[in-house]
Amino acid sequence: MSDILSDPLFVRGYVTTIALSAGALLASLVIGTLVASVRVWGGPFLRSLTGVYVEFFRNTPLLVQLLFLAVLLAPSNLGVTRDPLVAALFGLSVYTGAYVTEVVRSGILSVDPRQIEAARTLGLSQAEALRHVVLPQAIRTVIPPLGNLSIALVKNSAIAGGIAATDLLQVARILEARPPFTFDPFIAALFAYWTITIPLALAVSRLERRLAFAR
Amino acid sequence: MSAATVVRQRSPMFGRISAALVLVGAVLLLYATGFFQEDKWGPFLEPSTWRFLGEGLAVTLVIGVISLILSLLIGVPLGMARAGLTGPIRYVVGGYIELVRATPILAILLITLLGLPRLGLDIEPFWAGVVALTMYTSAVLGEIVRAGIGSIPRGEVEAARSLGLTYRHTMRRVVLPQALARMTPAIVSQLITLIKDTSLLFIIGVQELVGYGRSFFNFYGNLLETYFVIAVIFFLINYPLSRVSRRLESGRPPDERVAISGEEDQVTGRADHITRGTT
Repeated sequence: MSDILSDPLFVRGYVTTIALSAGALLASLVIGTLVASVRVWGGPFLRSLTGVYVEFFRNTPLLVQLLFLAVLLAPSNLGVTRDPLVAALFGLSVYTGAYVTEVVRSGILSVDPRQIEAARTLGLSQAEALRHVVLPQAIRTVIPPLGNLSIALVKNSAIAGGIAATDLLQVARILEARPPFTFDPFIAALFAYWTITIPLALAVSRLERRLAFAR
Repeated sequence: MSAATVVRQRSPMFGRISAALVLVGAVLLLYATGFFQEDKWGPFLEPSTWRFLGEGLAVTLVIGVISLILSLLIGVPLGMARAGLTGPIRYVVGGYIELVRATPILAILLITLLGLPRLGLDIEPFWAGVVALTMYTSAVLGEIVRAGIGSIPRGEVEAARSLGLTYRHTMRRVVLPQALARMTPAIVSQLITLIKDTSLLFIIGVQELVGYGRSFFNFYGNLLETYFVIAVIFFLINYPLSRVSRRLESGRPPDERVAISGEEDQVTGRADHITRGTT
């Protein structure tokens, strides 16, 4: 078992999974915040367009999205890249971005619009009202579900192996098919995933309890 | 002045123009890949294509339905055990649920497919898929059931008991009927996740909808178009389900909503996020 944990390929897979998840989380936060702003403050046409984005990406399998993207980005089509990791990063970001959009949107909507009116009446600009009135309250609603999404994201990153990106699970698959053909790589991968997901889950539930009391 | 006029300030023209630009850009990109060529779409006009993809869809639905039934049969008792029991069983069940939910489904799938034969138990990819989906979904359902039972105020149980109802009667007549109504939206949401996850069986070589799609585009060479059509088929199944879930939940006061942590389809579309039973 210890030879697997120190295997450079295994370590690379572990780092890839963490980097892939972290990168996709950052990107999806940016996507989600932008799209959510449009969902709330955009015109009717923009609102329905972003609505289609959210519903379509949430209701279709991530694997099919990744396969589509991998083909789309491949040299035979757009010629952007043949690296499956890039396609995986892109796909995970867009997929998770759809979920983040809904979370951020409900965060914004959880603040009574009359508070913005009140702030505007008191002389704050629209931007100041958002910054000082909406944001501090919205963040409280939004943080626990975002934590939950990041757990789901780490688990979803395993699907990147479906388009041959060498993430943790894919590495386990490769190592299992090599001498000495033991099952240890999968056991090691299992524990490796748990070192990420379980602390995240504990952190989220602690946070939820703290915010629940603060309310 | 109404709230809407205060909140919405940007001119609608700006939005419309940028939306149109995004749309035109996306269409041009797809056009560059030959996405709109007639010969790529022609095969989809043939009835035989839809019969073929329909067979794949049937396999996908069979996997989903079998896994759902098994998950309900296993998950509901798991959740009730975790909510109602005391002592070691409660902790064993709890540990099992938490560990399974902390694991990627694809990892469970590969471990089932490649691990069981090593224990001398040969398993076909199809059934390995059903086992993996069932393990995962039943753990999630267990958590939903526990959260549902936990959302019923303790006073109601105490009242029922002091009226002379037995524990079983209290559960059957007072707690479960209410809990079930509260859990239904979360269960429907999880069904969406389950249907999406059936596609993972493609990775281990099961011929379901995505697998049929591959056979199809291997013949016609229309990869992008086929993946798009498959995505649309999944959408047509899942979108109505997501509407049902949202509809069932709307109008329910926040403290009567059941949502659990760590699952993507459990955290969305709600005006506020409530987690129960995770402490």
